Amino acid sequence: MTEIELLSWARGPGLQIATIIFVAGVVIRIFEILMLGRKANLAEAKGSEMSSGLKTIVSRTVPDRDTFQRSGLTIVAGYFFHFGLFVTFFLYAPHILFIKDLIGIGWPALPTPVVDAVAVVTIISMLAVLVNRLTNKVMRYLTNFEDLLTWFLTIAPLVTGYMAFHRMGFTAPTLLATHILSVELLLVIFPFTKLMHSFTLFLARWYNGAISGYRGVAS
Amino acid sequence: MSDISNDADFRQILQDLGSLQQRQIAARFVEHVLSLSDDDRLDRVIKTVADKDASEDELAGALKSAKAATFDSHARCGAEGHWSEQAGYFVARAAVAAGTPPAQSRVGGPAWQAAMSARMAYTSMLIDDDSSQQSAHTECEWQYQSLSDYLNV
Amino acid sequence: MSASLEKGINALKEQVDSTVAAFFSSCVHCGMCAQACLFFTETGDPSRTPINKTEPLRRIWKSEYTLLGRIGKILGLSKKVDEKLLTDWETLVYDSCTLCGRCSMVCPVGNDITLMIRKTREGMVAAGHAPEGLIGATKRAVTIGSPMGVTWKALSAQIRHVEEDTGLKIPVDVEGVEYLLLLSSMEIMNFPEFIEAVAKIFDQTNSSWTISSEAFEATNSGIQIGASDIAAELVQRIVDVAEKLKVKTVISPECGHAYMAIRWDGPNLIGRPFLFKVRHILEVLDDLRTQGRLKISGKEARKLTYHDPCQISRRGGVIDEPRRLIDMFSDNFVEMPDGGKMNWCCGAGGGVSANERADEIRLKVFQRKKDQIDAVRPDAILSACSNCRIHLEDGLEEYNMDIPLLSLTETIAEHLEGSEV
Repeated sequence: MTEIELLSWARGPGLQIATIIFVAGVVIRIFEILMLGRKANLAEAKGSEMSSGLKTIVSRTVPDRDTFQRSGLTIVAGYFFHFGLFVTFFLYAPHILFIKDLIGIGWPALPTPVVDAVAVVTIISMLAVLVNRLTNKVMRYLTNFEDLLTWFLTIAPLVTGYMAFHRMGFTAPTLLATHILSVELLLVIFPFTKLMHSFTLFLARWYNGAISGYRGVAS
Repeated sequence: MSDISNDADFRQILQDLGSLQQRQIAARFVEHVLSLSDDDRLDRVIKTVADKDASEDELAGALKSAKAATFDSHARCGAEGHWSEQAGYFVARAAVAAGTPPAQSRVGGPAWQAAMSARMAYTSMLIDDDSSQQSAHTECEWQYQSLSDYLNV
Repeated sequence: MSASLEKGINALKEQVDSTVAAFFSSCVHCGMCAQACLFFTETGDPSRTPINKTEPLRRIWKSEYTLLGRIGKILGLSKKVDEKLLTDWETLVYDSCTLCGRCSMVCPVGNDITLMIRKTREGMVAAGHAPEGLIGATKRAVTIGSPMGVTWKALSAQIRHVEEDTGLKIPVDVEGVEYLLLLSSMEIMNFPEFIEAVAKIFDQTNSSWTISSEAFEATNSGIQIGASDIAAELVQRIVDVAEKLKVKTVISPECGHAYMAIRWDGPNLIGRPFLFKVRHILEVLDDLRTQGRLKISGKEARKLTYHDPCQISRRGGVIDEPRRLIDMFSDNFVEMPDGGKMNWCCGAGGGVSANERADEIRLKVFQRKKDQIDAVRPDAILSACSNCRIHLEDGLEEYNMDIPLLSLTETIAEHLEGSEV
């Protein structure tokens, strides 16, 4: 297969297959959770479930003072790369055009040099995250194959995208195909890993706030 | 000194006593139930508390000993409670009360607190002892008499 | 209660609901929960990371309730729950956890890890892997009516003492009153002055109340061991009596897990709402304060601080009430660092203090409380749980710190207008 054929496949059938698996996978995983249901709480309520749940979705983003003191690196590195992923994916002009093609909606982009710089910071954050994971006693104990796999799947599009933009080492079509394939790999494996947290954390945080709020405690 | 026959009088008289007197009568109350505890430290504690020449350091040491005795003898949450052993806990508590300076004592003063805990020690012993014909009031009566005797000396 | 691995696995399956599934799906192995748990922070042992304690439940969730997991199970690739796992996990799930709830407050993805550990206990106990001390306590609770074997005979002896000491009559088995007071075995055995305090307060505020000779025990060992059926039975006894006596409110005393058991778990355990309210003694006192019926005089000069019992504050919702009450008699109150919702556990709840095997670690993790106390250097510490009290006292004595532990209810009683000070 020539590099052009590879690129065509990646942009065409590859993307279609990956997207279908991704969407179906995410839907199945969420359905799997919701269909289990939970029993109604028969105790006399002290606070509201719904409003507490919604509050926690937002408030859990901010750690308390003691937690921040103890887990500072984990928190900061974590926010850096999440923020970086958001910027490099959603605020980069070619990505926005690609989405506009798909769903008809676009939005303003950040200047490309800015996105480029953010990409570098994000990659560095991702490396910091890996080092932390391998050196922090607790994280090392918890870490399994899936943690390392998802780390790789997340950094690959960043690195390959950066390389593609800067035309590093290979021809443009090869670099672009590699980048798109790395995204497709991420999409396909995503629903079967902890990356699902990007969707399920809204549920988890809501449940947490609801359970606690019912008892009159803001969590 | 007329006979003491009820708690209201008993308590009032105890509270009006000076700190040395409270210590000494409290020590008597504890001594009476000492046999319900198998903690050897309490014997020494009570002797120190009753001693009018005991120094502040010695009293502090005795109090510390008594407190340690309470920690070693209390019922553990969830563990099987034995009231005969719990009697020992209340004896230790009575010793703590006796050795506590009036300023830091719980409501009623050291002697009253010691009397109460001593009674609880006796009651605890009775809870486990089905065959006993005695009632808790026996200890009460003994304490009234003991105070009367102490004041008449 | 015949236990088996199969029963354990079935119990775990039953515990998986949408909350559990959402939580396990979201865990990203960040390890932040460990930093909230005093059993990790004071030992440095990563196996005590809270989310790790839920491993038996996680394996069941994965292999039974996820697509990939079910495929894995068919292919024989899934991690199993076996005797070895449960044996290894006993000291993590029971000895190293008080269900204090701090982990649930810090997890960035929002996992209620405490709930997950509680659910894991259901499987452990059904499989016969609960600590001996707890099993004994539970048996006594079911057969005698108290985990420590306290009988009505013993309680009535204590009641007689209280009546002698106060000159007040303690109402027993009275119908139609406002409050039914429950008591924990710890209070009956170690702190009978709590009963005195309540009697005096209710006398001053003209509150109608009673104790029941048939159901006086507040402690619920079923909750601690993680056996919902036993917990339900113990709750049912209280419910039957409360409804028979037609009381308006059942009062949970100064015992942490008792409150959680009757207030929040109770109706869900027996499967229907109660026909009466449940309140913690501090809530009742705060209510009386709001109504202007609680009259206090005299101030505590000592520098005071408050230890929040986990099940009452963070897990129970009674956080502000104690502070409003303390305000009544103290102008010299300081909060510990992290005081309030995020206060640190004393290390003894959730069955830990009933478990002799956990003695060493319990004393070790006390260091966390000690650090908090050292930071404020109080003259005395107030709290509202007998187990916290005695464990804090034990710990302080171990470190030669002479700081008295005071019951908040008893302190209020001592400051009642008209009482001798």
